[in-house]
Amino acid sequence: MSIIRVENLSIRFRIYHDRSPSLKSYFANLFKRQSQTAYSEFSAVNEVSFTISAGERVGIIGRNGAGKSTLLKALCRVYEPSDGEIAVDGRIAPLLEIGAGFHPEFTGRENIYLNGAILGYTKQQLIEIESEVVAFAELEEFIDTPVKYYSTGMYMRLAFSLATSMHPDILVLDEIFAGGDAAFLAKAKSRMYAMIDNANIMVMVSHDHQLVTSLCNRVIWIDHGKVEGDGLPEEIVGRYLGGKELG
Amino acid sequence: MKTKARTFIEEVHDSRYVLSQLVLQQLILRYRRTVLGYLWTLINPLLMMTVMALVFATLFKAELKTFAVFLFAGMIPWNFFSSVVTQSGSSFINNEALIKKIYLPKIIFPLSITFALLIDSVLSFLALSVIIMTIGGSLSWALIFIPISYLLLFFFALGVGLIMSVATVFFRDLQHVVLIAMQGLFFLTPILYRPDELMGNLVWFVRLNPVVPFIDLFRAPLYLASLPTSGVILESVLISLSAMSLGLFVFLRQQRQIVFRL
Repeated sequence: MSIIRVENLSIRFRIYHDRSPSLKSYFANLFKRQSQTAYSEFSAVNEVSFTISAGERVGIIGRNGAGKSTLLKALCRVYEPSDGEIAVDGRIAPLLEIGAGFHPEFTGRENIYLNGAILGYTKQQLIEIESEVVAFAELEEFIDTPVKYYSTGMYMRLAFSLATSMHPDILVLDEIFAGGDAAFLAKAKSRMYAMIDNANIMVMVSHDHQLVTSLCNRVIWIDHGKVEGDGLPEEIVGRYLGGKELG
Repeated sequence: MKTKARTFIEEVHDSRYVLSQLVLQQLILRYRRTVLGYLWTLINPLLMMTVMALVFATLFKAELKTFAVFLFAGMIPWNFFSSVVTQSGSSFINNEALIKKIYLPKIIFPLSITFALLIDSVLSFLALSVIIMTIGGSLSWALIFIPISYLLLFFFALGVGLIMSVATVFFRDLQHVVLIAMQGLFFLTPILYRPDELMGNLVWFVRLNPVVPFIDLFRAPLYLASLPTSGVILESVLISLSAMSLGLFVFLRQQRQIVFRL
């Protein structure tokens, strides 16, 4: 049984006003003592708490820059909490951006192994899924060509097939992605849904409110890094959309 | 605290497959689509050292064959050290896109660079050894010390590389500073000259230069056909241990901040 517990989570970024501090100014400031801060802090996520238990399908909604993606990245350990705690029980899959870690000079097959390793597959697993990934991406002919010669669609298909060939306990999605022509899109969607069905917990960020209401059984609305609403999808999405129309 | 160190080691151990893939990536990319491929690992240092040996043997009026061996013994450890330090500096910056998207133990980036360079260095060492033998160098039992020399050099370079990799994220200027610093350090290290040939104020710098014992670790078995003196061994053990501890200390303290500063 997987569980995600987030307690008083804050993630703060420093925004440097002039530039990244140079060695010179660092040492200059060391001796000056009066630390005039050349940066201001910005809380992308601000004292957020929630618990997600097994079986929950959580959609995270909110405006651009509200902190949704930062929150997801924190769940995937990309960002360390500045304050508070995150406890994750279960194997979590980093599905934030497909194709991260692909190398253009490498062939499709080499990238399956390189990117697969980065995504956390073992060598044994990769050997097992290799042919299935290639077949699903419909790239049998080009799998030994460097991916820099791929079309956007081919690239997306390979990245998608690889990223979705594992079945994690906890699935974290930043927008549902699927590229390619209509035929592939249909195939990709059903693969995606199968993956969501198999996951113990699913957390997704999306601006597609219909998708969120249809896929999720709980919605968390984030605004300015804080939880603005948390509950049933129709209710929260309704409140979010209503609030948007008002102001 | 103990558990913290333990999770760190476990994490690195668990990521050995990613690590090997990253090492492989660097080795493959360097020579992909070149006609001679991996041969460049061998040709490159060979050509460079031939040029240097010719020029400096003429300049210093030394005997070419002896000088070539002398130079080669010094260049092998120097090239490895200097490439590790310069390339580690940009290891996080070059992988920014990846680090911001997927969690990976940060140490694998400088670590993969060090491993890839070690493989390169050992390969060119082997190639150059063959050349040395054919132009009339001699094999000696002292050569069995070379793996130990490499081990000590590896940890020394990795320690300094770790510090550089973290420091460069905070102070980008270091990318440029380090290139000049390494150039300067090259001349302050007895690679082209014998340490006893040096006179004047510079002697003190050379005496304080931490790279010097590592040069001796290679030069003794290769050029003098003898084991390094116990003083040199002790010195290099101490230096590589301190570099490694300091490197790990800096790295473990700052690794969580790296993603915020990229």
